[in-house]
Amino acid sequence: MISKFLNLYKPQFFTTITYMLQSSEYDPIKYLQWFWHTQDFGKVRNRGSLKKTKAARLILLATYLLALLFIALGIFFIYQWHFHELMGGLEFGIAFLLGYPVIIANLVIVPLFLGKIILISPRNNRKILASEKIFANFKGEKIAIVGSYGKTSMKELLMTVLGDHLKIAATPGNKNVPISHANFAFNLKGDEEILIIEYGEGAPGDVELFARITHPSRAIITGLAPAHLDKYKTLDAAGKDIFSVANFVDENMVMVNNESSETHKYLKPNYKTYDYHQVMGWKIDDIKVKLDGTSFTMTKDNASLKLISHLIGKHHVGVLALVAALAMEFGMSSSEIVSAIAETRPYEHRMQPYKLHNAWVIDDTYNGNIEGMRVGTELLAHLKAKRKIYVTPGLVDQGEENKNVHEKLGELIAKANPDMVVLMKNSVTEHIKTGLHKGQYKKKLIIEDNPLRFYKNLDQFVAEGDLVMMQNDWPDQYK
Amino acid sequence: MNKLNIAVVFGSRSAEHDVSIVTAIVSIIKPLELTGDYNVIPVYISKDGNWYSDNKLKDINAYSGDKLTSLLSHLKPISLGFSNGLQIIQSGFSKKSINIDLVFPATHGTHGEDGELMAICEMANVAYVGCDVRSSSVAMDKVLAKQVIQSSGIDITKYVAFSKHDFLKDATTSLRTINSELTYPVFVKPAHLGSSIGITRVKESKDLENAIEVALHYDDKVLVEEEVSNLVEVTLPILGNQELTPALLEQPMLHAEDFFDFDTKYLRGGKKGGKGKSSSGSQGYSIIPAKLPKDLYDKAEATGLRVYKALGCSGIARVDMLIDTKTNKVYFNEANPLPGGLYAHNWNKAGMTNIDLVTRLVELAIERKAERDSVETVFKTSYLSQFK
Repeated sequence: MISKFLNLYKPQFFTTITYMLQSSEYDPIKYLQWFWHTQDFGKVRNRGSLKKTKAARLILLATYLLALLFIALGIFFIYQWHFHELMGGLEFGIAFLLGYPVIIANLVIVPLFLGKIILISPRNNRKILASEKIFANFKGEKIAIVGSYGKTSMKELLMTVLGDHLKIAATPGNKNVPISHANFAFNLKGDEEILIIEYGEGAPGDVELFARITHPSRAIITGLAPAHLDKYKTLDAAGKDIFSVANFVDENMVMVNNESSETHKYLKPNYKTYDYHQVMGWKIDDIKVKLDGTSFTMTKDNASLKLISHLIGKHHVGVLALVAALAMEFGMSSSEIVSAIAETRPYEHRMQPYKLHNAWVIDDTYNGNIEGMRVGTELLAHLKAKRKIYVTPGLVDQGEENKNVHEKLGELIAKANPDMVVLMKNSVTEHIKTGLHKGQYKKKLIIEDNPLRFYKNLDQFVAEGDLVMMQNDWPDQYK
Repeated sequence: MNKLNIAVVFGSRSAEHDVSIVTAIVSIIKPLELTGDYNVIPVYISKDGNWYSDNKLKDINAYSGDKLTSLLSHLKPISLGFSNGLQIIQSGFSKKSINIDLVFPATHGTHGEDGELMAICEMANVAYVGCDVRSSSVAMDKVLAKQVIQSSGIDITKYVAFSKHDFLKDATTSLRTINSELTYPVFVKPAHLGSSIGITRVKESKDLENAIEVALHYDDKVLVEEEVSNLVEVTLPILGNQELTPALLEQPMLHAEDFFDFDTKYLRGGKKGGKGKSSSGSQGYSIIPAKLPKDLYDKAEATGLRVYKALGCSGIARVDMLIDTKTNKVYFNEANPLPGGLYAHNWNKAGMTNIDLVTRLVELAIERKAERDSVETVFKTSYLSQFK
């Protein structure tokens, strides 16, 4: 108790609050929620470290200077009380000396908030408006990628397969907000044939705004699931926003992931769907999934493609087939498509298999939605292993669906029936346990209250013949 | 339910002191703590024989460079109490005494693995992991072990053994006996040491005396034994008290001339060249499971289990064997009552996690103690009445 209190007065405290700001992407509400539920600031940076960006250095300097100022003021008031009988001097002095860490931690968001309103937002708006003209005048293909999940994977697959044969530009990394799109537009060389633009939905109206600015010619809707429901509140609100992109393209240029059951109520007859049975007139069969990759055959009229990818999981088949079909439409030959698909590999922390102490581990810790969890549990059930272990902390940002989603997750895990389930203890653990109970899961359940220790020592828990599926991560700012 | 207090004892006045530290911290303390079921208390015996206990001793980094000297200078040696069991007593202003429910030995080599630590545990009537006093002391004496195994009808290689006293008294006779009874090449070994310390492979008689002197530098008894032709060396870790569970037969090296000395085994990851699939292990180079025809594999495994039983091993041990692949004969080589790193890499390959391994060993220790407690050893006699 005392050491937790004393952590407030260590110099590292300011590095910690800067780290918390940075991790919250300088969102004042997220930061304050995290700050006020933290009980021990000494442990906040156990899993991460502060990236010393310009902004971070500035904030750190400002907090240290404020701390010195508060301490000086505290000493001044006490001095005045002691030597000059200043009334209230002692009380003010003690308040400054004891309270400065908490005061500064809360004061620090004020310039962020003001800066955002006065400086950043107007500048960004001007840039976004200017970029709209660039997108409008672009004559090539503009593919908007929208959905609750799978957007970045879709984008990266398109880049990998099409990139060597066509001039492609895609929005970088996970930069999928309007200002990022604007910066992307200003950085175009001008000779691109295809633009791939990932839309990051976060609040109602976001997708429609992106579509107005980027003028897409084609839209791929990768799926709908409870995600970011802290802003959308309901799945229907998220669905409506995601499907609003269809208002900006021809209906037959809208491609929808049919494996995402939540999308079905928004489908229109002319939309094109894709799944592991068919895509754009191609029939898919002979699917094989192993730990070293996935293979399948697609046929259409007299054409046939036998495709092998290093990605693992049946859920990749529809996506790979869509990318192959698009590649065909954009003029790539069959052999070029087969070679390009063979180059596709798991991305870091997305169904990424690796060997640990003779056991196989599938790292899917970047997964963040119930559909992904369903896919992961199904894959675990499908693959052969001596012993199967499933590890998860649960899902963040599920809004009003939180309880239902986590009970559903528990049921999915029970259905896969692994030999051991490890749940990282947090606010959703009991919901997952309820789902496990509903699914009549009877095997070994471990509730781990030190996730970092578990992940760092995973090699101690596994042996030859084990298969571990690790899904999702639980960032420090969530309870 | 209260957690068991488990004392992990390591270090000791032994040539294998440093190996013991790694076994304790990496293979025992870490997985025991990860179970969340035990209070793990490190007990370190320094090279000068003092016993210490402090949580800082659980950190492998505490043993590098001068850090250990600095750490020990701030600690006071502990003492042991034997009041209705075993206690670790920390000296200081207020003496702190911790009751120990179970001892987990990790003291390789002399003054530990040879039964001395086990004897303390037996006297204190506390459960402990691994081989007991009797099997430990027999297994750690290569000569005695060969005699026991030979009497059990298991093949051993031809050997000659003698004490330091006998050699110093009359080296010529010892050398003559070796030259007349054995065929070169031979291996000269200290009788009581493990980890390949002091071992020399001798191809010609002119090198024999020097090799014996090296061995006698470390021990007061020497074993000289013939090399096996067409050799495949294998080792088999085994778990259990009455019901035995073998791990996988492991093939640590391919050629006799590539035998590992201590330096190669532990410092250079065992890499001396050679072909074959490597697998990480305490030696860093081995084939698991050994590549043998099925019937030979089964024969070696069965031999290993017979050796374990013949020596009276319990808990865990490792049996080394030499196979002549031409004659398909399996010879007992030596038994190791406290395998380095518990041979966790092999158990892992056999499908047992590190956590499961240490948990099972604790269970076996408790089972054995319960069995021993059911045996009456104290009873009333009238012997003293004659002195009334």
